Amino acid sequence: MAVAARRAAGRRPSAGDEPGRRFWFILAGILISAVFVLPLGWEILRSFQPESAISSAPSGASFRHLTLGNYRTLLSGQDDIIRNVVNSLIVSVVATVLTSVVATLAGYGFGLFKFRFSGLAFGMILLAFMIPFQAVLTPLFLELHDMHLLNSLAGLALFYTTFNLPVGVYVMTNSFAQVPAEIVDAARVDGASVTRTLLSVLRPLVLPGVATTALYAFLFSWTEFLGALSFLTNDSLFTLPVALSNVETGTYGSVNYGLLLAGAVIAMVPCIVVYISLQRYYVRGLLSGALKG
Amino acid sequence: MAPTVAPEVSTAPQVRRRSRASAQSRRNGRTGVLLVLPALAFVAVFALFPLGFGAYISLTNWPLVGAYHFIGLGNYTALIHNSVFVESILFTLKYTGIVTIPILVVGYALAVFVRANRRGSALFRTLIFLPYIVGLVVESYMAVVELQPTSGSANYALSKLGLVSDSTAWLVHTGQALTAISVLVVWFYAGFAMMMLLAGMQSIPRDLYEAARVDGASWWTAERRLTLPLLRRWLALSLIISVVGSLLAFNQFFVMTDGGPGTSTVTVVMSIYDTAFAQFDVGLASAMSVVLVIVVGLITFLQFRVLREDGS
Repeated sequence: MAVAARRAAGRRPSAGDEPGRRFWFILAGILISAVFVLPLGWEILRSFQPESAISSAPSGASFRHLTLGNYRTLLSGQDDIIRNVVNSLIVSVVATVLTSVVATLAGYGFGLFKFRFSGLAFGMILLAFMIPFQAVLTPLFLELHDMHLLNSLAGLALFYTTFNLPVGVYVMTNSFAQVPAEIVDAARVDGASVTRTLLSVLRPLVLPGVATTALYAFLFSWTEFLGALSFLTNDSLFTLPVALSNVETGTYGSVNYGLLLAGAVIAMVPCIVVYISLQRYYVRGLLSGALKG
Repeated sequence: MAPTVAPEVSTAPQVRRRSRASAQSRRNGRTGVLLVLPALAFVAVFALFPLGFGAYISLTNWPLVGAYHFIGLGNYTALIHNSVFVESILFTLKYTGIVTIPILVVGYALAVFVRANRRGSALFRTLIFLPYIVGLVVESYMAVVELQPTSGSANYALSKLGLVSDSTAWLVHTGQALTAISVLVVWFYAGFAMMMLLAGMQSIPRDLYEAARVDGASWWTAERRLTLPLLRRWLALSLIISVVGSLLAFNQFFVMTDGGPGTSTVTVVMSIYDTAFAQFDVGLASAMSVVLVIVVGLITFLQFRVLREDGS
């Protein structure tokens, strides 16, 4: 008896297709997205206000005089943060390249080679994921000191690489393990060396995995704060997020919120650009990072 | 490339291949070890060694510079009487308790909203996820500016709505600072929870919903009887990741309150940071770290258990 009714229900066009519902969905989506995007956009707008407008009572009139003044002050003069931007770039790029290369090699090894204790080795790398870096900060400080890597951008980059590796190795091992066995066998039969197989046969197949790893490492390194705060004590070596804490507390004279906002926007823009252009790789890596095990 | 392989080679007698197999596999094995060695070295030197080293230091009275000697479990007994550390644990637990459920609930609602493959849903996902990408440090700096009394946008908007006075100094009072930071963190983190739960929802076969609908189940019934049980593993995972993240909170508190007023908003990690780098008591800081590693390790272990249990 219910069969006919079920059939009828099944044939009805699904609710999501109705134009009315589509309109409400888009409208609600715009409103919800605004909650997450507008505050960021608002701060970008505010960063073009003169300092006097930012630190006095808000009024509509204060938006009539937008200026590049905050940026000009921040990027010029003796306390310019250009060197901090450069520091951040150096650390992030070095950590990204190192993470990508080391994780690709390890993924190649774990994914396509059989060797004794490979399970144990893989487990050791994943163990680093379970260690919160916040909790090894003190011993790491002493260790980096003894290795002459304290107060050094190279030391910071090595630290970032280490804590990006678990995700990278996991992503890359999966990428290599998914390569069809025939392709690897064919390359071997052709007499291609291990290096040649990687560079010319496997490269296009694992490139999306490399993109995921690189993007993950870059965003982590660009936004990391606590490690940089602990391992760098020389102002001229500060990365951007740490340098901004000096701006916040007014180390360079009086507290200037215009400069703080402009600096925050400068720190924010690369993240957004990189993420928007490569986002499909990022979400994949993020989820596999969470799903290790 | 693969297509260049001549047919006669690939159908070569199995015997010949096997005779070379052991030498080949030994060479392969060595290559495999060489390939994973750099990654192992990084992890061993900069993660596993500090972990053991930290446990060792925690049994000494190590100052940042100078000589040290063993004091057994002295640092650990000192921890119990260290009121700043004990209070930082309580405060961090309170903060975790406040933000965890809102993050999950908002994340779930957002995931439900964007999960269908409709026009616009991919864009909405991207936009909602944006605060997570930008990072909490930069957003905390922005929040500091906007939470200032009289000049901040937050007070301006909230006082127009009649909710607070425009002279509210959010970051000066413990309760208000915690409220402001919690709102910021939920806003920051909800997009991440959404992405996690969305991945879980997309792994549920569509035909289950089709069957439920055919059986006359309402949207709400399907959500309760189908989505929630099948999402259990993902919910547990999101919960654990969010709880661990909250227990390790540092950036937003360092930037927005620096632990103040007094030491009332000092988190566990901030307490460790302060003990090591402001009071130079590396031994005590390491003992605090060991406690933190054990707690976080246990919770992460739980995450692996959850995955094992349902993953097969």
